[in-house]
Amino acid sequence: MGFDHFLQWLSETSFSATMRESVWAEPLVETVHVLTLTLFLGFVLFLDLRLLDVMLRHKRVSEMFAQFNPWLFGGFAVMIVTGLLLFSADPANFYSTLFFKIKMIMLVLAALNVVVFNATLGRRIDEWDTAPRTPWKVKLAGAISLVLWVCIVAAGRGIAYALPPP
Amino acid sequence: MSVLKDGLLAFCEWCNASFFGHAIRDSVWAFPFVEIFHLLALAILGGSMLVLNMRLVGIGFRTDSVSILARELRPWIVGSILVMLLSGFLLFSTEAVKMYGNWAFQAKMSFLFLAILYTFTIHSRVTHREDSSPAVRWSTAIISLLLWTGVGLGGRALGYVTTAAASVTP
Repeated sequence: MGFDHFLQWLSETSFSATMRESVWAEPLVETVHVLTLTLFLGFVLFLDLRLLDVMLRHKRVSEMFAQFNPWLFGGFAVMIVTGLLLFSADPANFYSTLFFKIKMIMLVLAALNVVVFNATLGRRIDEWDTAPRTPWKVKLAGAISLVLWVCIVAAGRGIAYALPPP
Repeated sequence: MSVLKDGLLAFCEWCNASFFGHAIRDSVWAFPFVEIFHLLALAILGGSMLVLNMRLVGIGFRTDSVSILARELRPWIVGSILVMLLSGFLLFSTEAVKMYGNWAFQAKMSFLFLAILYTFTIHSRVTHREDSSPAVRWSTAIISLLLWTGVGLGGRALGYVTTAAASVTP
């Protein structure tokens, strides 16, 4: 019940109304959401592929994190804000689709993967940072992240097709 | 000129009628499935271009020289462009004739032609050497960013142009 109220409240906010009624708001926000994929998703995939020993192998993993993380966080902020705005245009219908729920669950799992990685393998990064090959557990963390993000993109596309036509 | 136009239109009609054009159009999930590859390749291509251009002008990734990064990213840039071209062509083939007359699509293709040409000539030259002046580096990076952004914006716009045209025609 509480959550339905939240969706209801969200759909009555002024920015929700703007997203629905303005000709330019929705295409503009969606364009920013899609083009920021290059910054956010691109960098996530680079880090995953580095953990998998596939890409930019000459760089230490700690150096990758140090250089990519600030941009990654910036990109993530843009993705969250634009994503929330798109969602706010029609909260109840978004939430009613299976793809939206899948996407949200995958996002939580991707975040969990980062938290677990930082608390375990990331803490001992000095032990494997300069190793010629990343340990299999590190590769596993990279693979999990990669699969989750591919699914998040797929689910995101799915939402657009599952939504009832305007 | 009209020979070229006729040829392009004939090509679009052939795409429309092709087995893949038919197959993707008739399937509910084929189109979004191909779009997923288009988006993933966009992330890799755009990400690579951002890294390379940021390094070129010196606002990030400074522990590597430009030419080392350029060499390492090259297969990813070439690979993601190929995936984007193939997936983009498949998406195009589902409504090729409609796209032929779509100004956003024409703009996107013009930008794409220039962006690819630029990436494999001037941009490639400048990013594979270390002795370019800051002015050359900045202008090379900005032109690259503008051309690829043009492709992206054209891609976003063509969906809305189609929708607008479809809602006007009964």
